[in-house]
Amino acid sequence: MADFFNLIRNENMKTFRRPRLYVMLGLIVGLIVIISGIWAFNDNSFSMWEVSMVETTTLFWIVTIFAVVVASSSVAEEFSTGTIKLLLIRPWSRSKILLSKYISSLLFAFFMTVIFLLALLLVNWLLFDAFSGGNSQQAAMLFTELGGHSFFEYIMRYFGLTFLNTVMTVTISFMLSTIFRSNILAIGLALFIEIVVNNALQLLALIPNKWVDYLLFVHLNLTKYAGSNVSTEDGMTLGFSLSVLAVYYVLFIALTWYIFNKRDVAS
Amino acid sequence: MEDSIVRIQNVTKRIGNRTIIDKLTLEVPRGEVFGFLGPNGSGKTTTIRMMVGLMSITSGDILIDGHSISNDFEKAIGHVGAIVENPEMYKYLTGYENLIHFARMIPGVSAHRVKEVVALVGMEGRIHDKVKTYSLGMRQRLGVAQAILHKPKLLILDEPTNGLDPAGIRELRDYLRGLSRQEGVAVFVSSHLLSEMELMCDRVAIIQSGKLIDIRNVQQSRAASEAAGRILIEVDNPGAAIEALAAAGQQAESTEHQGLLVIVGDKEKAAAANAALVQAGIKVYGIRAEVKSLEDQFLEMTGGESVG
Ligand SMILES: Nc1ncnc2c1ncn2[C@@H]1O[C@H](COP(=O)(O)OP(=O)(O)OP(=O)(O)O)[C@@H](O)[C@H]1O
Ligand SMILES: [Mg+2]
Repeated sequence: MADFFNLIRNENMKTFRRPRLYVMLGLIVGLIVIISGIWAFNDNSFSMWEVSMVETTTLFWIVTIFAVVVASSSVAEEFSTGTIKLLLIRPWSRSKILLSKYISSLLFAFFMTVIFLLALLLVNWLLFDAFSGGNSQQAAMLFTELGGHSFFEYIMRYFGLTFLNTVMTVTISFMLSTIFRSNILAIGLALFIEIVVNNALQLLALIPNKWVDYLLFVHLNLTKYAGSNVSTEDGMTLGFSLSVLAVYYVLFIALTWYIFNKRDVAS
Repeated sequence: MEDSIVRIQNVTKRIGNRTIIDKLTLEVPRGEVFGFLGPNGSGKTTTIRMMVGLMSITSGDILIDGHSISNDFEKAIGHVGAIVENPEMYKYLTGYENLIHFARMIPGVSAHRVKEVVALVGMEGRIHDKVKTYSLGMRQRLGVAQAILHKPKLLILDEPTNGLDPAGIRELRDYLRGLSRQEGVAVFVSSHLLSEMELMCDRVAIIQSGKLIDIRNVQQSRAASEAAGRILIEVDNPGAAIEALAAAGQQAESTEHQGLLVIVGDKEKAAAANAALVQAGIKVYGIRAEVKSLEDQFLEMTGGESVG
């Protein structure tokens, strides 16, 4: 048996040898530089943590969308271009081929998250003051639930939780692209989740009915736990949210693999 | 060791309530070039898809080198190289990267082997260009290259001559025959170019509407059609010629071409007819056997029917 690692290398090669990667990297780094630049030019009394926080809440969804584009095209494009036929007639089970794609997609999401974080901290460290509390009124608004953490700890927790949201969104779009073999659909739905669901549907959590607590969408955005493991908004705990997400995760993964294994390839 | 590299055993494929392949049974011996012939929509590609595990088999089984493609996929497919329909490659990668991609998926394919295969398909000049800049024929060559990387015992090609120029077709044909003769690779090839099959294959199976209707040995059937063929005779005066032949005890018929007669028989009959005509003072411009190509036989058998 050849090394399973080779399959992941192949998937990474297909992701990293494409020009669109440079567009994505350019957009992420470019947006951070431009926004921080304009901000610093107008008023540099802020601390780098405040600026980083604001940019994370407003820009991070772009990272998620790029991760989704890569994950969903990883499966859907093999079908739409017909290369899936050459991929599946090798001495590898379909499950392992799909696993290599999934792992490579998550690695890419992680890679983009790290790039975003590094660019964010570096650019804002250069442009703003790292140590002062900055404009304390602003800080109070942004870090409402600092919960005894330092700014850096808080941001790392925030990123960790946001990354879980990205993993969930990538998993959902990976499933959709496997089922429908269309990345437009998968990307569209992921956009919908990122923009509509994350912002609006959290209000659902305020409905007192018990069943609402078990909806996927209520738990997708975990950043409300950035300050503490118990949400001050609705009193839910991080452990509960993670458990609900885990159940959905297992369901999605099982369905994705089942369908990919069963499907007749006739494109 | 099994003597057949492929055993297709009573295979049926149903999609919905349509039966696309109906109880197909075939065997291909090691090292044979086996042609798979049928009109559009007769189920050639579907059969090939089942042979390489892209489609499930409704009932029956396909064994490759003794391993079931449905129950022992990884072992069975390890001996197979294939192109199913068009050789689609990753267009944003170079030809070389594409080959490395597939080489990595199979144990024991070295970088040296990749180079060797590139030379074999005559792609050295362009292998480091992106595939999107390739012509159809170059992609076809790259397709053959990825199929033979791991020196398979069985090569499955679905219409491989599609898009090749005459020189390319000839090269491929010679190459496939060479693989079979020198390295004992069995080749299972479907094609629309029926005359191609005659030149390339040892045996040819003919399917129609998912059913096997005949398997024939190409060289034998050619000899047979020559033995009891129709003989065409070109003369200056067809009317007189028919009379002269009738007097000599041979029945001749005119054809739609002016001055062209046809008699049924072997070489001896042709010589006798010639003698009778010359004796009767009729000018004979030419005598030739009308060889029925596999194509004619094929059309005869399938009733020249289109898409079914
Ligand atoms: N996924 C599918 N669903 C339903 N019917 C299908 C499917 N794939 C193929 N068919 C039908 O199965 C039959 C055989 O198709 P197949 O592609 O195997 O033919 P073929 O012999 O390869 O034809 P061609 O010479 O045109 O390539 C056709 O009637 C086709 O319509
Ligand atoms: Mg076909």
